[in-house]
Amino acid sequence: MTESVVTPAAPSGPLLRVEDVSKHFGGLVAVDHLSFEVNTGEILGIIGPNGAGKSTILGVVSGFYPATGGKVFFQDRDITKLKTHEIVALGIGRQFQTSTLFMSLSVSDNVFYGFHLDYKSAVWKRLVRWPSARKEERRFRQRGEEILDRMGLGPVKSEITKNLPHGYQRILGICIALASEPTLLLLDEPMTGMNETEIETMLALVRGIRDSGITIAMIEHNMTAVMSLCDRIVVVDHGQKIAEGLPKEIQDNERVIEAYLGKDEMLLDD
Amino acid sequence: MSNPIAAAIVARKRLVGFIILVVFLALVPAWVKSPYYIDLVIVIMINAGLAMTFIMLLRTGLISLAVAAFWGVGAYASAMLSVHAHIPVWACLPLATIITAIAALIVGFVIIRSAGFTFVIMTTVIGMLFVVVVGNIGRMGGYNGVSNIRPPESINFGALGKVVFDSKVDFFYLGLILFVIIMLVINAFYSSWAGRAWNAIGLNPRLAQSMGVNVFRYRLMSFVVGCAICGLLGSFYAHYQTFIIPTAFNLFPKTIYIQALAVLGGVGFATFGPIVGAAALTFFNEAFSGYSNWTVIIVGALVLVVVVFLPNGLLSLGQVPSRINRWRQERAFRRGEAAGATEAEAAPADGGGEV
Repeated sequence: MTESVVTPAAPSGPLLRVEDVSKHFGGLVAVDHLSFEVNTGEILGIIGPNGAGKSTILGVVSGFYPATGGKVFFQDRDITKLKTHEIVALGIGRQFQTSTLFMSLSVSDNVFYGFHLDYKSAVWKRLVRWPSARKEERRFRQRGEEILDRMGLGPVKSEITKNLPHGYQRILGICIALASEPTLLLLDEPMTGMNETEIETMLALVRGIRDSGITIAMIEHNMTAVMSLCDRIVVVDHGQKIAEGLPKEIQDNERVIEAYLGKDEMLLDD
Repeated sequence: MSNPIAAAIVARKRLVGFIILVVFLALVPAWVKSPYYIDLVIVIMINAGLAMTFIMLLRTGLISLAVAAFWGVGAYASAMLSVHAHIPVWACLPLATIITAIAALIVGFVIIRSAGFTFVIMTTVIGMLFVVVVGNIGRMGGYNGVSNIRPPESINFGALGKVVFDSKVDFFYLGLILFVIIMLVINAFYSSWAGRAWNAIGLNPRLAQSMGVNVFRYRLMSFVVGCAICGLLGSFYAHYQTFIIPTAFNLFPKTIYIQALAVLGGVGFATFGPIVGAAALTFFNEAFSGYSNWTVIIVGALVLVVVVFLPNGLLSLGQVPSRINRWRQERAFRRGEAAGATEAEAAPADGGGEV
């Protein structure tokens, strides 16, 4: 709340504003009057202990869960009541927590499916496979391959997804989200279950995505990764924001250490 | 389907298969002279078409038990238009299709919001109610059905001759033309963005949503397209039989029969599966037709055997050689590993399961 402008990459105001959002599941309060902003061009980290309501926040922002209270603004537009597919169309892409991909399809088909919103040719032309519609599909294939190449999945693009190692599947989850050309990308624990090398790769990829002009808000458990990657961090506990600021500030914040670890251990130990 | 070249090969294979099938069917009357068997082939085409719509909905994660009911909507719409309004049959065919599509749009708008088990129950209710409702409307013939439905008006091709629709062969060719159109339409949807959206919904509705697919709209779309095809087939059936009774469109046994043949052929094969399934089931029924009550039991047991040993349907027989091949390679790999081959360590890192 206090520290707002931190990003070195010259941001221009908040891209996403979460205002006083609450989400109750029956009697359970998952998110409790939470407010934060995501500025254009930054990587925002959302951290907190297990069950703090981090994933629920992303669920509310991306339209999977209707908010119990409060409002969400994207580019100054109220998106609180919109459905998932409408929110995706506005430019918020989302990667899932677990590897929910089209396991039986090839890697390149997974991304190809992600271009759903981009079809411009008339419906009847698409159905009769009119030359212009075919060209459009070829262009999507090409763009899909470009994304895969950029994210380092080029060599495995013909593999069936379920045969990929876990780390690759996570990257593919991001590739699919990138196909819808988001302005804001929501990452849900992109580094979970990854080894050191895979995490290094993922860090470079996420930075690369940011450098290509996409703003990122991510949930992550791996503290080393969060501290080195994020421009700003929001700490959530019991559905409430307990701190916000630069990685350095968060690391030294008494309340965060207390809530997050229960005692005075080093945060970096994860 | 992984890379463009493989996809092109698959597409060409399917095109060749389609052409062979159409040519084969077109030549059936040349060597099958008995009207009885011509009738069987017509029924196979109708059943296969209905099963294709069932699979179409299944792809989007919807199990519909109202296939026969919407087939009935098309049949009754056409019969009513023809008998009461005296509209030419050639206009009845498209009109019945449109009427069924509108009915599906209205019904689908209400029931598709609740997917999964609720949808199954809803369509079951529709499937069972159709007979009761139609059976109790006197103007629609009640349980006695509608008779004297006119066959299509004859068409004069001038020098090429005249088609009068007085023989099964004439109907066979009309049915074949409709069947080919239906297959082309279904294929057009499957190979387009719509088919991909349906597939995405069927594989993972939540991921489909986050790719921007409007799940409700695309499910409704598949429901309307599928039911419209059922309607067209129903209209054809009505004018072919010239006589329809409501119980022909009941959930039991018609829809169940359609599902059985879809599973028998293989639900993974959207168009060829139902054709093989319908042909096989009809063949089974004919082959064991002499055993009165035992026929159903024998055919049922046979279907069971196929489903147990070929869970992906009869058409998956074609994949057996490649599977044996893969199994052999894997066995060879395991043996090499047991012998102490070290390159096995590097292999899994690339995740190259497919050899």
